[in-house]
Amino acid sequence: MDSTELYHTKQQFTLGAYKALTQQSLPDEASSDYIPSVLYKARSYIALGEPKSALEIVPEGTENVALKAVSSLARFVGASDSVESEAALEELRDLSVEIEGDDAEGSERDKDLVRVLAGTAFARAGEVEEALETLGSETEDLEGVALIVQIYLSINRPDLAKKQFDRSKRWAEDDLLLQLVESTIGLVTGKDNYSNTSSFYTEQLGNPSLTSPHLLTARGVTRILRGEIQEAKSDLEESLQQQKGDEEAEAAYVVSAGLGAVKKAEAEELWSKFAGQHPSHPLVQDVNEKAELFEQYSSAFIIPPAAATVSA
Amino acid sequence: MSVMLTKFESKSNRVKGLAFHPTQPLLAAALHNGSVQLWNYRMGVLVDRFEEHEGPVRAVAIHPSRALLATGGDDYKIKVWDIRPQNRRCLFTLHGHLDYVRTVQFHHEMPWILSASDDQTIRIWNSTSRQCIAVLTGHSHYVMSAQFHPKEDLIVSSSMDQTVRVWDISGLRKGSPNQGGPGGPSGHGPNNFETFDTFSTVKHVLEGHDRGVNFAMFHPTLPLIISAGDDRVIKIWRMSETRAWEVDSCRGHFNNVSSALFHPKHELIVSCGEDKTVRVWDLAKRTAIQTFRREQDRFWVLAAHPNLNLFAAGHDSGLIVFKLERERPAFSVFQDTLYYVRDKYVRSYDFNSGADMGLLSVRKFGSPYVPPRTLSFNPAERAVILTISSDNGIYELSNLPQQAQGEVKDSSVDGKKGTGQSAIFVARNRFAVLNKTTQLIEVRDLSNSVVKSIKPPVQTNEIFYGGTACLILSSPTAVVLYDIQQQKTIAEINSPPVKYVVWSNDSSLVALMSKHTITIANKNFSQHSLIHETIRIKSGAWDDSGVFIYSTLNHVKYCLAQGDHGVICTLDNPVYLTRVKGKTVHCLDRSARPRTITFDPTEYRFKLALLKNNYEEMLYIIKTSTLLGQSIIAYLQQKGFPEIALHFVQDTNTRFELAIECGNLDVAMETAKNINRPECWERLAQQALKQGNHKVVEKAYQQTKNFDKLSFLYLATGSKDKLSKMQKIADARGDPMSRFHNALYAGDVEGRISVLRDVGLHPLAYLTAKTNGLDEVAAEILEAAGLTEADVDDIPSFGASTLKPPPVITPTTDLIWPSLSTGENFFDKALVNGQLEGGIEPAYVNGDAAAAVNSALDAWAKEEEVHDDLNPEEGGWELDADGGEFQDAVTGEEAVVEVEEELGAGATPGPSEPELWIRNSPLAVDHVAAGSFETAMQLLNRQFGIVNFALLKPTFLSIYRSSHVYLSTYASMPPLKLHVRRNPSETSPSRVLPVAARSLASIRSELAEGYRFVSSNKLVEAQETFRSVLEALLLVVLSSDDEAKLWRETVTAAREYLLGVSIELERRRVVEAEPDNITRQLELAAYFTQCQLQPPHLQIALRSAITAFARANNQAHAARFAKRLLELKPDPKIVAQARQRIAAGDRNPRNAVEISYDEFSPFEICAATYTPIYKGSPSVHCPYIDAAYLPQFKGTLDPLSRLTEIGAAASGLPASW
Repeated sequence: MDSTELYHTKQQFTLGAYKALTQQSLPDEASSDYIPSVLYKARSYIALGEPKSALEIVPEGTENVALKAVSSLARFVGASDSVESEAALEELRDLSVEIEGDDAEGSERDKDLVRVLAGTAFARAGEVEEALETLGSETEDLEGVALIVQIYLSINRPDLAKKQFDRSKRWAEDDLLLQLVESTIGLVTGKDNYSNTSSFYTEQLGNPSLTSPHLLTARGVTRILRGEIQEAKSDLEESLQQQKGDEEAEAAYVVSAGLGAVKKAEAEELWSKFAGQHPSHPLVQDVNEKAELFEQYSSAFIIPPAAATVSA
Repeated sequence: MSVMLTKFESKSNRVKGLAFHPTQPLLAAALHNGSVQLWNYRMGVLVDRFEEHEGPVRAVAIHPSRALLATGGDDYKIKVWDIRPQNRRCLFTLHGHLDYVRTVQFHHEMPWILSASDDQTIRIWNSTSRQCIAVLTGHSHYVMSAQFHPKEDLIVSSSMDQTVRVWDISGLRKGSPNQGGPGGPSGHGPNNFETFDTFSTVKHVLEGHDRGVNFAMFHPTLPLIISAGDDRVIKIWRMSETRAWEVDSCRGHFNNVSSALFHPKHELIVSCGEDKTVRVWDLAKRTAIQTFRREQDRFWVLAAHPNLNLFAAGHDSGLIVFKLERERPAFSVFQDTLYYVRDKYVRSYDFNSGADMGLLSVRKFGSPYVPPRTLSFNPAERAVILTISSDNGIYELSNLPQQAQGEVKDSSVDGKKGTGQSAIFVARNRFAVLNKTTQLIEVRDLSNSVVKSIKPPVQTNEIFYGGTACLILSSPTAVVLYDIQQQKTIAEINSPPVKYVVWSNDSSLVALMSKHTITIANKNFSQHSLIHETIRIKSGAWDDSGVFIYSTLNHVKYCLAQGDHGVICTLDNPVYLTRVKGKTVHCLDRSARPRTITFDPTEYRFKLALLKNNYEEMLYIIKTSTLLGQSIIAYLQQKGFPEIALHFVQDTNTRFELAIECGNLDVAMETAKNINRPECWERLAQQALKQGNHKVVEKAYQQTKNFDKLSFLYLATGSKDKLSKMQKIADARGDPMSRFHNALYAGDVEGRISVLRDVGLHPLAYLTAKTNGLDEVAAEILEAAGLTEADVDDIPSFGASTLKPPPVITPTTDLIWPSLSTGENFFDKALVNGQLEGGIEPAYVNGDAAAAVNSALDAWAKEEEVHDDLNPEEGGWELDADGGEFQDAVTGEEAVVEVEEELGAGATPGPSEPELWIRNSPLAVDHVAAGSFETAMQLLNRQFGIVNFALLKPTFLSIYRSSHVYLSTYASMPPLKLHVRRNPSETSPSRVLPVAARSLASIRSELAEGYRFVSSNKLVEAQETFRSVLEALLLVVLSSDDEAKLWRETVTAAREYLLGVSIELERRRVVEAEPDNITRQLELAAYFTQCQLQPPHLQIALRSAITAFARANNQAHAARFAKRLLELKPDPKIVAQARQRIAAGDRNPRNAVEISYDEFSPFEICAATYTPIYKGSPSVHCPYIDAAYLPQFKGTLDPLSRLTEIGAAASGLPASW
């Protein structure tokens, strides 16, 4: 059983309250919570896209495999060119091999985490097969399951994700992360009008011991999917209020705006602002790509000469 | 029957008779020691005692509608009592019986009293004439009981002669035999008994008991009789018109059965006997259900409440009042619906509509005699969990049907059962079950399998929902908020065992109710307050404003979060509150029927507003309601709001007190004037002094003539002139001391000296003068005293006096200096200024402005209306041409291959949702949303001949980006790309479709915007808007024939307007560029009128044409336009002008300029050249908007929409629905 603080940390991490997590102070170095807390904090930094801060809090020269893996992941995420990222990936590959050895040091928990972190990096690098292989389909680590499910979903295999989830239901008690996984699958499949996902986020928003704007964003997104645009808009506005300039919430807000939450001109304006501020967001990149394709495809049609009108 | 719930118990001498009051919680008990007690069993107090009988009293009855009590005793007497407390007394005594009176009973409608006696007779007495009107003879031993039939003219009696007899007394009612008494005027005597028998006959004699029969009664509705005898048997008899026979016996008592009753509502029998037991039997099966045993006391009598589920039993050392089942209905509220159980049916009740219907039968759940105890509702699954206390506690999880069906299904069909005393939903797909004996809480999923087991940290008797992932555990001494996930206690509050838990609507507060206390806590139990009640608390519900409304046995009360509570109204019978909305309390009564109670929430609203410092609301309440009275004033004063209390008070003295308390000097002053008593002025002066308001102090001192203090006040304020006035006053009063004071304060040396001289204190006067350097005056004094300088040379010489009042630095005379802050009181301001009206009520709108707004709105509305009426003729479009062929082509390869695949690294990517969209829809817009621009363009080209896509780029991109949303669900992983569907309830991959970014309705509102541009003469903007409408219409989702029709109308309307506006713009260009080309100008003006516009816009076109043609002196044409204008019924003013124009045309029917315009033969307008194409002439059309062109334009870009190739082939809109 984890200590209360660690439990909270874990809960916050699971529900995406990274910002709050990074603002928490770490326990005493002698405490048994120290390393897990550092791990969560570092992973929160990485999730927030601040791998440098993550590297700062990881103690140097550590022998703990999980900590090593976390710093490798941080280096991978923060890599500025392919050489650096390839080097970080290599480190993670080595670590994954190392923990498989019989005399490998570190607890099971650490080893599981190494797999998860390595899997994350591989998935980010687009090495889906390698990621899945590293994680292994028989894992009894819930984080591993969550990652596997995420990978399956990203390659449009909700059926496999569902299977993995059903399997883990057998051994994982009614854990929060398991519920999150279930709700994530719901987001993709849209089962029962997204009701499971929707009630999951609504329930977690009512949780007295935790608040995270991410939850509001998530519910906003769910509401968009459910076609409740105005409600979604209010959720997202609230989320943005709590966390100004959050990329994810803004992206969702732009979508809700495009679906009629605000006037057309305003929606356009929001979009151009968003596209300007977050050029690396997948939505922006995707749309830009499509815009180029548009040019390409539309040029295939030959535009006849304009009719000679009286005015022209 | 798991429990017999004892509600009340009393200790006394042996109880031989019992009777319930029909409406009040009163119970009469006849005692073996000769006393008759009247108990209030709800409050547990002895209300009255009637002690006039000599020897034991066995018979007792309460009148069904009047405050009368009848008793009969071993003294052969029947006494009738008035039981109203103010005039309680024995009204009269009926003499006649010759032995013990065993039972008495009032008739339910006639003024008759029935009595049974050991003298072997049954008598009926008229309580009005106080005479015996019938004597029923026939029993050959003591008559132990006699009871009227509840409806018919029958009596059933039981006797020691081992028979039960049924008597017909209908004769008695027909001709009430005698008003005078037995035997008529001839006299009294046993012989006369015979006469009565003509009116009452024995109808049936029921033989079967082997010993004497102690009690017999009719069933309230069925033709049944029950009897209880010394043979230890209870017998059930059935009777018809002609005969009566024994149906069955209930055996089980092992000593004499004293009494046996039919349950007034259920198919049950309740009996008691000398074997010290009370037993419950099933009437239908004649089987024993339950036995309630007492150690010492034999039971003698049993009584049932006529309306409620309540019984009383008398025994050797007192009586007990008991219930056979819990009455509290199991219920749960979700939003506007109440889910509850009545008669073993789960029902739903809509608070708004009052619709009440049965959803699910739970008849087979647990014991048939026990109602379910709790109900927990899960809105996400529309499921309920019921618990029942029979069978040691079981629960059942069942789904409710979506709608009420004809046949209500039984829960046993697919319900999931288990053992547990307490079961509740804790999440959308989890519920928790408590097993009390093993002390284990199991969290189960909807398939009823355990996902988690929890060992509660305390002895837990019941569990409740505790917010997300939490449970509330009720233990004997505390309530615990327990986190399921973390398996640990979050908080604990000491409390007696909590029985019910109610969450507020916003889930921020929770009320924990136990038998006599309510704990109001916030959601993590960090703050709480406790309310104690002396009477049993029954139920509660939260008001929307966060006030807890609860019911006790006899009151509805409120309670604020900080613990203030008070009574709202009183109750006759307990109710179970389900919801509070505004002034209405929704509740379930004891028989689980929904009811509402309206009440006045003013008091607690006011208190709540007070707590929240919501002055506006308080003011509003003060102004609008009749919230008055001592209690609210006392409350306000006690809570430290005297200034508010002030506004409620009329009484001057109280007003003064309050004003002083809150420092409102104005009010205090005003009231003090009215009261005008010295002590008031003094207190006012004190308070004013504290607040530094010296003017009020001055006034108060003046009123009380407190000159000394007044003078000192003037000194303190530096008011010299006032001091000198005071001197004069003192002079006038002849008070030298006061004069001296004032002179001293004012620094008036002369004055001082003169006072001293006047009172003959020459030495002092002399010295004063001397030390102040007034030598002349000193000399005068000496002289007056008859002394010289030499006489006083022994006086030591003093230095010059420096005694004088301090100089005034700040003249405070007219200032009220820093006064005690009373705060700018909102109330003072508002109440004085009467600002309330402005503040609370909506501001009055200036009449003219409102009218203007209205007319503007009318104009809008009119425009919209007209638009909808418009139904332009339109044909020849190939819109109906089916896209079926195309559809087939894409749906052909639909089958998704289902391959059972093992999990693992080799997973291959599946088809993405956009791919599904593309497969599922032939609409270009869906392809755009899927991001497949290429196919979308092909579709548009094929369907509408679109070639110029550049214009559509923003629309394409906007649709695409609105159809996908990203959410990261796992740390550091790229976000998941989610796809927004327009049919979220659909999950089948072959039917999912993307969201409709723009609706037809929103495009039509854009069209209306274009109309407004036309009306306001912003033609360039209008042109742009109409083009944008036409672009948007290409990419809109249609789902029905009606929508398709509307779509076509919209396209046509936009085209006509676009054409009209373009022509008008061209005309303006010509006017500008070629002012001499009148012909062309007139032609264009004329063509404009030929576009199919709405009447208001057509009027504009016609009027502009009339003006242009009149100016060009084409009077005949102008008159034609004017006639067309008249058909549109324009304003009277315009009508007048039009008539003038027609008249002018009649006078001068000529046209000065020849133009190419023949209004009498139909034509289309070429949208490129703006020239007519008369019917029959060749033309080509735009494949999308169907604008007409001269044949030479074939193959060019449509100049109107700028999208299509004129004359291209197009398949038209595909019908995808």
